Amino acid sequence: MLHTRVETGEIPVIYLEGEIDLDSVETFRWVVSDAMRGAAEAVIDFSGVTFIDSSGTGLLVRFCLDYKAQGVQLKLSNIPPVVDDVFSMLKVRALVGDEAFLDR
Amino acid sequence: MGMPARKNPATLQVMRYDARRGTLKVIVGDPANVPREILAQRAAEAMRAHSFICHTTDDDDDALFGADEICFIPRSDHCEIISIHTNGWRHHHGDHRRSLVEILNDLAAAVARGTLSFVDDGELAEVTADGDEIFACAVDDPASLTQARAAVVQVLDRLDVEPDARRRLELCVSEATTNMLVHGGGQGTMRLLLVGDRLRAIVADRGPGLNFLNWTEEAGGVNQPSMGYGYKIILDNLERVYLHTGDEGTTLVLDRTI
Repeated sequence: MLHTRVETGEIPVIYLEGEIDLDSVETFRWVVSDAMRGAAEAVIDFSGVTFIDSSGTGLLVRFCLDYKAQGVQLKLSNIPPVVDDVFSMLKVRALVGDEAFLDR
Repeated sequence: MGMPARKNPATLQVMRYDARRGTLKVIVGDPANVPREILAQRAAEAMRAHSFICHTTDDDDDALFGADEICFIPRSDHCEIISIHTNGWRHHHGDHRRSLVEILNDLAAAVARGTLSFVDDGELAEVTADGDEIFACAVDDPASLTQARAAVVQVLDRLDVEPDARRRLELCVSEATTNMLVHGGGQGTMRLLLVGDRLRAIVADRGPGLNFLNWTEEAGGVNQPSMGYGYKIILDNLERVYLHTGDEGTTLVLDRTI
């Protein structure tokens, strides 16, 4: 189960809490797409994420690259170890660029 | 009149050269048009040289027999031959997706280091006959993934498995069951067994098999951009993986010492 909350403003912050897997990947897609509408920059806060798999990571990589190509910055913050571990396995930093991570 | 058959954009073939008998056995895929004698010769050469040999499209086309990549992977008494035919289609849509050839490289490397074994019917029966079953469930929709993961964690907690191994096993079982839902016909079973000091997960479906066609499509309306990522996680985090695939489904056997 994935719970989401969006703090609106000039730079929206998307808070994620729970598990990002095949079951919740559509929720993840919807909340990010909606929050990014019209924004030049946004932040995803992963501090509440307790599980992520390749479905969630694949979608995140896709978001980062697609928005980057459109000149929109999607930043990733508060990555917990359980998420960072999967990002390391799939070389996410190399794929999306180190600059996408706020806690470098 | 029926619908015309769809041509797979990419297919995987796995054959095994038995050095003692000098025979070639098909493990996965369609052996049509494969020049078996030449393949056996190349496999014997790779075994003599004790060298992992990979031919890619950058090489002489004659070495490929129409494949995009063909790998000869010598083992102690046999040589695995893994090839992929992509029929000119080489990349997923989207720059960040890994190419099928890269996936083949991951599979071949895992075979070379002894992590992955492609198995035929008889070998699968032998592997799955071992062990004491400690949990079994059906996985028939994405919502049941959470339950499958929770079951794994519960079992591992009971066995007092250290947190890092527990987390990696939970992730790998989740990836295997996700693959089953997305690519394996949307339903199947997950079993956990104790085999000596190892935990074994067996994830089985009755889907169309690992033919790559279903890896390229949007699955059930879910735009799944992680093709190949799940297998990479599984192969990087487990000690032994057995893969059986064919027209009647796919079975993954995942082993890790606990």
